[in-house]
Amino acid sequence: MYKKIDAQDVQFLKELLGEERVFVGEAISEDYSHDELGGISRLPEVMVEVLTTEEVSQIMKHAYQEGIPVVARGSGTGLVGASVPIQGGIMLNLTKMNRIKELDENNLTLTVEPGVILMEIAKYVEERDFFYPPDPGEKTATIAGNINTNAGGMRAVKYGVTRDYVRGLEVVLPNGEILKVGGKVVKNSSGYSIKDLICGSEGTLGIVTEATLKLLPLPKTVISLLVPFPNLDMAIGTVPKIIKSKAAPVAIEFMQREVILAAEEFLDKKFPDNSSDAYLLLSFDGNTKEEVEKSYEKVAQLCLEEGALDVFISDTDERKQSIWSARGAFLEAVKASTTEMDECDVCVPRDKVAQFITYTHDLEKAFDVRIRSFGHAGDGNLHVYVLRDGLDEEAWKEKLSAVFACMYRRARELDGVVSGEHGIGFAKKPYMFEQYDEAYITLLKNIKLAFDPKNILNPGKVCQ
Amino acid sequence: MGKLIVHDHRVTKENLKELVALCPFNALEDHGGKLEINAGCKLCKICVKKGPQGVMEFVEEERATVDKSQWKGICVYVDHVDGEIHPVTMELLGKARELADQVNFPVHALFIGSQVTDSAAELLHYGADKVYCYDDPALKDFRIEPYAAAFEDYIRKVQPSSILVGATTVGRSLAPRMAARFRTGLTADCTVLEIKENTDLVQIRPAFGGNIMAQIKTPHTRPQLATVRYKVMNALPRKAEASGEVIVCTVPQEKMVSRIKVLEVRPKEKETSISDAETIIAVGRGVKGEKDMAMVEELADLLGAQIAGTRPLVESGWLDTRRQIGLSGRTVKPKLIITLGISGSVQFAAGMKSSDYIFAVNCDEKASIFDIAHYGIVGDLYEVLPELIRRIKMEKEA
Amino acid sequence: MNILVCIKQVPGSNKVDVDAKTGVLKRDGVESKMNPYDLFALETAFRIRENRGGKVTVLTMGPPQAEAVIREAFMMGADDGALISDRKFGGADVLATSYTISQAIRKLGSFDLILCGKQTTDGDTAQVGPEVAEYLDIPHVANVLRIVELKEDALILDMDMPHTVEMVEVLYPCLLTVEKDIFMPRLPSYRRKLETSAWPVKTLTFADFEDQDVMKYGLNGSPTQVERIFPPAVNAQREMLRGEAEELAAEVSTKLVHLKLI
Repeated sequence: MYKKIDAQDVQFLKELLGEERVFVGEAISEDYSHDELGGISRLPEVMVEVLTTEEVSQIMKHAYQEGIPVVARGSGTGLVGASVPIQGGIMLNLTKMNRIKELDENNLTLTVEPGVILMEIAKYVEERDFFYPPDPGEKTATIAGNINTNAGGMRAVKYGVTRDYVRGLEVVLPNGEILKVGGKVVKNSSGYSIKDLICGSEGTLGIVTEATLKLLPLPKTVISLLVPFPNLDMAIGTVPKIIKSKAAPVAIEFMQREVILAAEEFLDKKFPDNSSDAYLLLSFDGNTKEEVEKSYEKVAQLCLEEGALDVFISDTDERKQSIWSARGAFLEAVKASTTEMDECDVCVPRDKVAQFITYTHDLEKAFDVRIRSFGHAGDGNLHVYVLRDGLDEEAWKEKLSAVFACMYRRARELDGVVSGEHGIGFAKKPYMFEQYDEAYITLLKNIKLAFDPKNILNPGKVCQ
Repeated sequence: MGKLIVHDHRVTKENLKELVALCPFNALEDHGGKLEINAGCKLCKICVKKGPQGVMEFVEEERATVDKSQWKGICVYVDHVDGEIHPVTMELLGKARELADQVNFPVHALFIGSQVTDSAAELLHYGADKVYCYDDPALKDFRIEPYAAAFEDYIRKVQPSSILVGATTVGRSLAPRMAARFRTGLTADCTVLEIKENTDLVQIRPAFGGNIMAQIKTPHTRPQLATVRYKVMNALPRKAEASGEVIVCTVPQEKMVSRIKVLEVRPKEKETSISDAETIIAVGRGVKGEKDMAMVEELADLLGAQIAGTRPLVESGWLDTRRQIGLSGRTVKPKLIITLGISGSVQFAAGMKSSDYIFAVNCDEKASIFDIAHYGIVGDLYEVLPELIRRIKMEKEA
Repeated sequence: MNILVCIKQVPGSNKVDVDAKTGVLKRDGVESKMNPYDLFALETAFRIRENRGGKVTVLTMGPPQAEAVIREAFMMGADDGALISDRKFGGADVLATSYTISQAIRKLGSFDLILCGKQTTDGDTAQVGPEVAEYLDIPHVANVLRIVELKEDALILDMDMPHTVEMVEVLYPCLLTVEKDIFMPRLPSYRRKLETSAWPVKTLTFADFEDQDVMKYGLNGSPTQVERIFPPAVNAQREMLRGEAEELAAEVSTKLVHLKLI
């Protein structure tokens, strides 16, 4: 039903971009056929590196006219197959559009191209005493990738998610039109918020070619607390009380001993403490050490009252490094400990986290499969990994889908959602369809249709 | 050699504030309008030089200076294990020769050990005029007290002006002991050494993890001690003819006692982790087959390097996960990293870009690894690698 | 077992700048912290105490604010602590510092074991440990990689040597400087913070010392003088090499030799 790329299309792209930025057939690296974990792969028919909004617009006009599917791609660090060109066609590689265009100190905004990676943004603004709060684990993801999944990260507890920091966007629509939504304004109640629809749309509604982000002044001091508990129930049971205490931690993560041990093995480096069964990892920020100490003391006290074995303080670069490098390697470490794995990224209300985690332990026993989890206890977003280990292909598929079905059902029962921050993409569609009723899905489909009547932009994803 | 004085009558509200803010060490305090100096003062004198005129004064105090003419010669401590001389020694002899020639000093080598007299003559080919040899069974293995006793004996008898010591673990253990014993200066890890006409050494060394360089002198005392790392100075080529003499010295046995007993000396276990490796060969997808790793291993062996790699290579099973460099893998900071067939993803680059020297081989001129490489080698690794192995073998044999 | 650990307060970050005009370190409100290498010495002390019992005392030298690192050591598990602080010690180099510390140790009593970190992150000299040992007239073992065995009257240790590892047995009293990663240092505990916040910290001044010769302390007792400080030259060189494999290999190996990398 879609047009196959032919010599003329390639010719058009080469004339527009020059030979060097157009890759066809074998010249396309296998990397572009998949993302980090989506469980699906296909190469595009042609991959192009774009440098300007105008180029994106020209390509979309051509694709719209010819009926060629187009997928936008950043660093390819997604986990649900959102950037995989399942219908072939053109892949727009936006990683070379990676300039930081403007730091507006009067309006506290940063305007960037879509391919700037997250760690560059963090470095750039922090050197200038500003702060971009969203902090997803994958620091090499592009900002447009973050916007398109509405990525969350650890600091969501205090600061919210990517969408909360997108002030304005420049978007190329499927028909090639260039649209500016939002801007540097702080308030905006001028009709439907298209900007907020684009955030989290996983490249199905338009292609982000520029983003204006909201910045905050950089908090000068950050202190983390590592809190050991005798068991996970006690650890997670404490979280709602911490939130209720109004102490405003930046992040509340939970981790279990076995994941810590896996990270120690993976990094060949000891964690500061691995003697307890479960840990909470909290961080607090502020402008002086005294201020931060004051805000964490209440929580430290509370944790001790709730049965924490101790509260360890991490206040220097070395100490933070010893904790957070392990935290940052959890995903890779778990991955390295098995043959294959898949991930469930549900988000449940914060007071239901303990119930959900306990349930995964029951599943582990019931299905005789290893399940590992860690995540953002403070915002209810859980990353649960089912590990294949020695299972054969068939048994693995069967077990995985049964376990996933159970987990998503449980998440629904607990008033949770299918995805907290990784998106729906291709891999999680069935679970989303199960969650929402027909009216809701129809609405999603109609929104997609309004943006993309010919359905050429990243088809087969999210609600299709 | 002096002290800092506050002229209270010149202190005003304004200049008090100014001075408190000026001090880089927070050593000036406002005590209810009175300016006080606390224990944080490093006597950097910035408050005298840059502060309001006449408030702070540095009063010089006369300090006894040793008679420098009584201290002659530049000595190099011979670093060795069982008589096998550490190459840093030859490098220091090269430097000592250069410095000595400027002030007409002899170059000494101080060789402390057991059954070392035979190896001592070798040093006469590298610029030493005299080798002082303390050869005693009690000095077989390094133990601090007997080694320090022999060292002390040499200093007392010969009175060298300067002593250069390799900044090896032994040198950094022994030199401070001598500095303290003679109440003299020791400058660690010098990268530049020069000498003044009055025989004062000009010593430059990094501090604050290399973020700052400091130039240091030892103007009043002798000997002046400096440690220097391996591979900083240049050795002289070996002279065919030995010139100079070996002088055998002894220390009374009662000074050879030690509270330390050496139970075992064993070779170091081969470093197997990439985290602390000094040299790393990193491979990426440019390496086509697992059998080609043999070639990579050959290069790594030649350079005493650890092999590391990118994630795809680790995922292919050719490398252990512990050898994966990257933001989520291990971060490395070797002196030398040679990347082979690595395009340089952000993930990978973030894990190694603070390496001292990055050599990158890649056939794609536009590969992003070349943005961070100090030396970018554009070429097919299957052609370059065998040649490189051949060349390095030649160099090592030379 | 009576253990003393020498610790130091250092700037929170190594990112220092020199003011181009004055040639003085820029202060820029950097926070202070305990020298990271000292954390390993402290942890070693705690492990030895766990095994043999006894007491861990910490000692630091610096301005009054340096009390913070003693409090931090309390939070990690130290039993006692003292601060050496006096204007008379201003301008001390390594030698004067070591002598001052040795005087303080004599004042504090007798210790079976003195532990130091391998070096500090601000001075990087790795000299204070051995110099203190010299002034206390006790043996030292530097660069300790591993504690092999704790005996009644001695320690068995692995010491790092240029090409070998020496296993030595050293009698108490002695001083050790320990390598980084000998043990993973524990984090300060909030429980301990509550317990120890009212603990007193002794301050030792010049007046407390046995040796009252002012010429041995501070600037007067410092044989070295810093003439100037300046930022290092940066290696920003980038070079692309092209040509036949043979030429490339020749060029690379020449560079490696020149840079002393082989």
